[in-house]
Amino acid sequence: MSTFDSDAAAKVHAHLHSHLPSEPALRVKALESLLVERGMISTETIDAWVEAYSEEIGPKRGAQVVARAWLDAGFKARLLKNAAEAIKEFGFEGNATGHLIAVENTDQTHNAVVCTLCSCYPFSILGMSPSWYKSAAYRSRIVREPRKVLAEFGVELPDEIAVKIWDSTAELRYIVIPQQPKGTESWTEDQLAALITRNSMIGTQRELAVS
Amino acid sequence: MDGIHDMGGKQGYGAVDVDETDEPFHHDYEGRMWAISRNVRADDWTIDWWRHVRERIDPVDYLTRPYFDSWMQTSAAAFVLSGVFTLDEITSGHTDKTGAAAEKQSKADAIEANRVSCRDFSEAAAAMPVFRVGDLVKTMAFSSSHHSRLPQYARGKSGTIHAYRGSHLFADAGAKGVHEGQHIYTIGFTARALWGPEASRNDVVYLDLWESYFEKP
Repeated sequence: MSTFDSDAAAKVHAHLHSHLPSEPALRVKALESLLVERGMISTETIDAWVEAYSEEIGPKRGAQVVARAWLDAGFKARLLKNAAEAIKEFGFEGNATGHLIAVENTDQTHNAVVCTLCSCYPFSILGMSPSWYKSAAYRSRIVREPRKVLAEFGVELPDEIAVKIWDSTAELRYIVIPQQPKGTESWTEDQLAALITRNSMIGTQRELAVS
Repeated sequence: MDGIHDMGGKQGYGAVDVDETDEPFHHDYEGRMWAISRNVRADDWTIDWWRHVRERIDPVDYLTRPYFDSWMQTSAAAFVLSGVFTLDEITSGHTDKTGAAAEKQSKADAIEANRVSCRDFSEAAAAMPVFRVGDLVKTMAFSSSHHSRLPQYARGKSGTIHAYRGSHLFADAGAKGVHEGQHIYTIGFTARALWGPEASRNDVVYLDLWESYFEKP
């Protein structure tokens, strides 16, 4: 049983720092070997999860949800009321979506999501988070100088558009609903979903390119 | 604790890498560590104990080593602290206590296992919620030396209750292995309340905070 002893954790880290190989891939391989020998996981299961998160569980899920919200006012109302429940209509619920909240961009507001304390992210609906989302630069700055960070992503916002930053400090997770581009009113759900990017659902993109 | 992990508002970290390519994993080991973390744990771990173990990584390592490398070291340390593996087993990558081979999931199995892993953190609180939407609240000025989800930048600050989110497992207690429900609220802090006159008068930062993080009314 763990003692939940904070200082003991720091001591174990110091030992591991000195005794594990430096190369990250070798470290993970050592842990994988150990877990397989103990019978706690199989190599095949690890392969399957990598495939699942590479091919199926990704931002295309979120894009489909947003496209549906643009087309179906009833669904959009359900999504804004309780996104955790609404995404079950697609079977997209899962890791870190148990308390999912959807926040909507408007002409007057722009939303962006962060986890300043670790790297919380709605994985089952957006897939793996980008490295920048987990970086010190993004985590430290987006809450303090959001307009500068957004400008680095190419989002230049006039003063009158309010920026709302959502810091995922508990088990609530956030997804941004970007605005539907003008001129796409007659498009199908699949056509619309193809426009919607991961960054637009984190909030580091505002305008979606219509090709 | 006031550790290196508490990054909100710290200055000097430089530009964000906006040119990162879009693939879900940039190295094979990232995906393998992700898969391991989704499937393997010790019985006594809580999500916030695991987060706290990650917070106790040496600050230089926290800033300089790759992200999923820190997950490896966190899980490894947490396994040692729970008595699942010894330090020697972790560093050698081998054990004399072998077990029967684990099940082999297919991709479809993994997708379904991910779906059913959706977790509800609701847990009843002992009393009724103290605050209501629209109330002005002030956060505590201090935090504990153990795990807390009240970031430094939002301590001793006044904000407005934007939403009541129900009663959830309290992270600070969970990191000590204690299951305790507490009311949780989304608080809107104006950017100027957090950062002063340099900030835009129109901007708001929202945090999800448990009731004990607020001063009593």
